[in-house]
Amino acid sequence: MYGEHPGGMDCTQFEALLSEALDGALSQPLLAGFRAHAAACADCGPLLAGAQAGMSWLKSLAEVEPPRNLVLNILIATSGAGAAASLRQASPTSSWRDRLRQWTRPLAPAFSAVLQPRFALSLGMAFFSITVLLNAAGLHLSSLRAADLRPSAIQENLTRAYNETTARALKYYENIRLVYEIESRVREFRNATREEDQQEQRKKELEKPRDRKYRDDNTSGNPDRKQDRYSRQNEPVVLAGTWLDDSVYTIPEGRAA
Amino acid sequence: MEDTQAVAALVERCLGGDAAAWEEIVRLYHRRIYNVSYRFAGTAEDAEDLTQEVFIKMYRTLKSYDVSKGALVTWVTTVARNLLVDNFRRRKHDRMTDSLESAPAGHQDALTLGEQLPDLGPSPDAGVHTQQTQRAVHQALQKLSPELREAVILRDLQELEYREIAQVLRVPEGTVKSRINRGRAELARHLSRTYRQVS
Repeated sequence: MYGEHPGGMDCTQFEALLSEALDGALSQPLLAGFRAHAAACADCGPLLAGAQAGMSWLKSLAEVEPPRNLVLNILIATSGAGAAASLRQASPTSSWRDRLRQWTRPLAPAFSAVLQPRFALSLGMAFFSITVLLNAAGLHLSSLRAADLRPSAIQENLTRAYNETTARALKYYENIRLVYEIESRVREFRNATREEDQQEQRKKELEKPRDRKYRDDNTSGNPDRKQDRYSRQNEPVVLAGTWLDDSVYTIPEGRAA
Repeated sequence: MEDTQAVAALVERCLGGDAAAWEEIVRLYHRRIYNVSYRFAGTAEDAEDLTQEVFIKMYRTLKSYDVSKGALVTWVTTVARNLLVDNFRRRKHDRMTDSLESAPAGHQDALTLGEQLPDLGPSPDAGVHTQQTQRAVHQALQKLSPELREAVILRDLQELEYREIAQVLRVPEGTVKSRINRGRAELARHLSRTYRQVS
């Protein structure tokens, strides 16, 4: 109870000595009075027990380990100059991704919009287009040297690339033209041949049947044909014979036709 | 205890533009500042941000450090404490808990201190090293008012002298001791309540 003096001290004095008592810094006479008060006072006894327990709980808390890159981040955020040297010392086992992340961390807010997927896609397409253009122009980044970056060298390269490209295009055009011309000639030749055949055919069709008979009957100068024609005109037509007799039936010339 | 002469020379070099000296200061105190920030703010993310802010502020105001007025560790801790309190006020995370005196009056069914303190649950010596216990103590610490929390952190975790704590908090030593005692008892009360709920 406040106001009472068990142990020779009041509660205010007791509370003032509490810290030293818990630190073990009280002299023996004071400590004896302190303990007597704590045992007798209904307020100060629990206060001592609580403070003692709380101190034990707090002392039990282990020190937490700071993040590995904390020092580096602090140096980057403050001096910045020693960051490169510290990078090698502070995180010798950090991966290149961690190091890149640390270096780009101050720039992250500014480039956050650019790092969106659509921007990444656009950048990829732009890179692809530039690569295609460079390849078409005959420029290869792997074989690029410092001497190639002189204005005169750039102009020379561009002129050469232009001339080569123009020559290739012209040659291609000429080749295409030659092929077309050959195809055209072949087509004309075929058409001409076909017209001759058609005229011949048409001429045959236009001949009269009388003329055809005259041409068939005309055997002058062709003795084999003349003989064949004669045989067919004078030979009777033999139809067939039976096995009962050897008689042969013949059909008169007039009926056989 | 830090070597005053060596620290003064280090600060002098740093003010002269020696990046290595500044790096040495950072390496000397970053662990202490991070731990204070972590125990005060409660989360590792906040602690990391706050630690960086503390060192940025230190870097800008190192000229104001006067060797004759106290140790560098006290100055560093003061800068950290002020920034932590500013941050606390800015965020308006009012995690003020019932004070030791008002707790019984604030809750009708709350136990008196005399009834609560004898039943502290598991002994602090028994199994306090487990992660679960550490987490419980850390959470109970967050329930203390900022005044009590900073006092017990500086005394029981950072092991500063009462005089140094008084210098950091800019209050008399008697007030420091009172806050420490109340903070410890309050923490024990929260933990006893937690363990009573668990059991």
